[in-house]
Amino acid sequence: MSSSPLASVAPGKRALTGPAIAGLAVVALVAMALPAFTTGYVIYIANLLLVFVVLCLGLHIVIGETGQFSMAHAAFYGIGIYASALANRAVDLPYPFAMLFGALVAGVVGLFIGALALRMRDIYLALATFAFGEAMQWVFANWDSVTNGPNGLRISPARFGPLEILSDKQAYPFVLFFCLLMIGVTVAISRSRLGRSFRAVRESEVAAMAMGIDVRRTRVVAFGLSAAIAGFAGGMFGLFQTFIHPDSLGFQTTILVLTMVVVGGLGSIAGAIGGAIVFGLISEVLRQAPQYQEIIYGAILILFMMYAPRGLFAFIGDRIREARHGR
Amino acid sequence: MDLQLALIFLQQGIASGLVSGSVYALLALAIVIIFKTSDVPNFAQGEVFMAAGYVALYLFVFQQMPIWIVLPATLLAAFLAMALFRRVVLDQVAKSAKDLVYLVIATLGLSYVLKGLVRRTGFGDTPRSFPALVPTDSVMIGQASVTLLDLAIFGTAVAVMAAFFWMFNYTKTGRAMRAVGMNPKAAQLVGVDLRRCHMLIWGLSGVISAIAALLISPKILMTADMGSIVMLAFAAAIVGGFSSLPGAIVGGFIIGIVENMVGLFISSRAIVLAPFLAILIVLVLRPQGLFGGKLTIKKV
Repeated sequence: MSSSPLASVAPGKRALTGPAIAGLAVVALVAMALPAFTTGYVIYIANLLLVFVVLCLGLHIVIGETGQFSMAHAAFYGIGIYASALANRAVDLPYPFAMLFGALVAGVVGLFIGALALRMRDIYLALATFAFGEAMQWVFANWDSVTNGPNGLRISPARFGPLEILSDKQAYPFVLFFCLLMIGVTVAISRSRLGRSFRAVRESEVAAMAMGIDVRRTRVVAFGLSAAIAGFAGGMFGLFQTFIHPDSLGFQTTILVLTMVVVGGLGSIAGAIGGAIVFGLISEVLRQAPQYQEIIYGAILILFMMYAPRGLFAFIGDRIREARHGR
Repeated sequence: MDLQLALIFLQQGIASGLVSGSVYALLALAIVIIFKTSDVPNFAQGEVFMAAGYVALYLFVFQQMPIWIVLPATLLAAFLAMALFRRVVLDQVAKSAKDLVYLVIATLGLSYVLKGLVRRTGFGDTPRSFPALVPTDSVMIGQASVTLLDLAIFGTAVAVMAAFFWMFNYTKTGRAMRAVGMNPKAAQLVGVDLRRCHMLIWGLSGVISAIAALLISPKILMTADMGSIVMLAFAAAIVGGFSSLPGAIVGGFIIGIVENMVGLFISSRAIVLAPFLAILIVLVLRPQGLFGGKLTIKKV
């Protein structure tokens, strides 16, 4: 399971405590047993949350680890969805390969954007990626012959050999598996030499350069990997969804993912995962009150930035520590 | 396309482009003065613009207030909202987190709150139009047809810009703002109240957005999403160089004209894409923009 790598995300930080292991074990058990005692809607939400976890991992690589502001992740995600769905439908590629294809296409586009982004930082990077995201959404909505334009694209059911996935319930084990796989991949990247150079670039490009890190290459690779993971999330989406509409791949989605990563806490993998789940659930509950959705959404962003910029979990941790020390 | 038609299109494109461009220029100016002094790209600028439009609509159409009350009331509301956001929210964010990302996300939060509030009131659900205060009879300039309203928009926008430059260059407050933009610490040392100065700048940028909203609202359909027009202002600011005030204005006119040319010569479907392409092309070819000066290398 994911429990051990999850906890030792920030290298050199404190080891897992007893309650944390117990908590993770419970989460893992619940996650695996979920289909046994719930019905369609809950499973659907669970699938969606797992996809968002992977999408957040992708954004984490580029913003959290490397400190590069990307506002194009809905676009990479969309590229992954369309590429995998089209590969599945047009060439009848077995679905795992279709997913890889989606990740590959998104990754290549990500490398390209990363290469462009070399000349920019901070706000310029944010605006350029934002512009790219909006332009991609326009492409999804207007490239009729490929994406079926504003009518949306039907996604054919995924097939694994003889097994055809026709329901959320059937898809769930696969979605869970791929999600855990991507958590493992992200942790591995983060702990590798590459991950260390990501963080070195985030802390100071000049210092990183002085240590012999190829900053340009590192930034491009970060964009490519991050986009590939987001594209893979798109492939996971196609496991259980039968339809994709370009409207759902715009700025809203980018902000949703950004919010998740921020609510969890920028810079930690556990934060990205936790944020995806917590904020995913919050935004699902808010669907019941669509009139207030945007207001609450915005208020959460503002309040977190004001009072808990390190994220929900660090905030709770701090409060617990304060309470223990009797303050 | 024969030459004659192309010439008419060219003139029409420039005339219409100058009109819409003047509104983009105002919004770009609002974005740039904030960026210059706070280093924050305000992603809520479009929603401030939108909300101000709705405040005016509410007072003028639904409360039947006379226009000489509506105008100052709208500008005041925009000023206060932005100044308070700076003072209450961003000062706190800046205190608890150093990174730029956090300030940017807070402005994204504001944009959502404003949009949500307008939708919540119900005004944003039906597309509406703000009644024009100037007759919309058309006049010909060369071979281009423009309305009196267009001329009023252009004239007012240019007057506002001129007033603004006068304030920035010749008043004490304006000079203090410029000083903060160049070096906040030094400005503070010579007696500038940083906090007050930031509030003033954010408030002022709210006022400029409100003016832009009052100018363009009679010409467009007002919806809760009309803030997306800010993309063109961002494009204008980037073309101009993002931290240059004259750049923002020139950029606004360029974007306005390019947008209209794309619509006339290529296709109206491509208009939406124009600002994003402009942003991408400028950032790739000349990241510092037309008026951005030399790129500086950041030291450790």
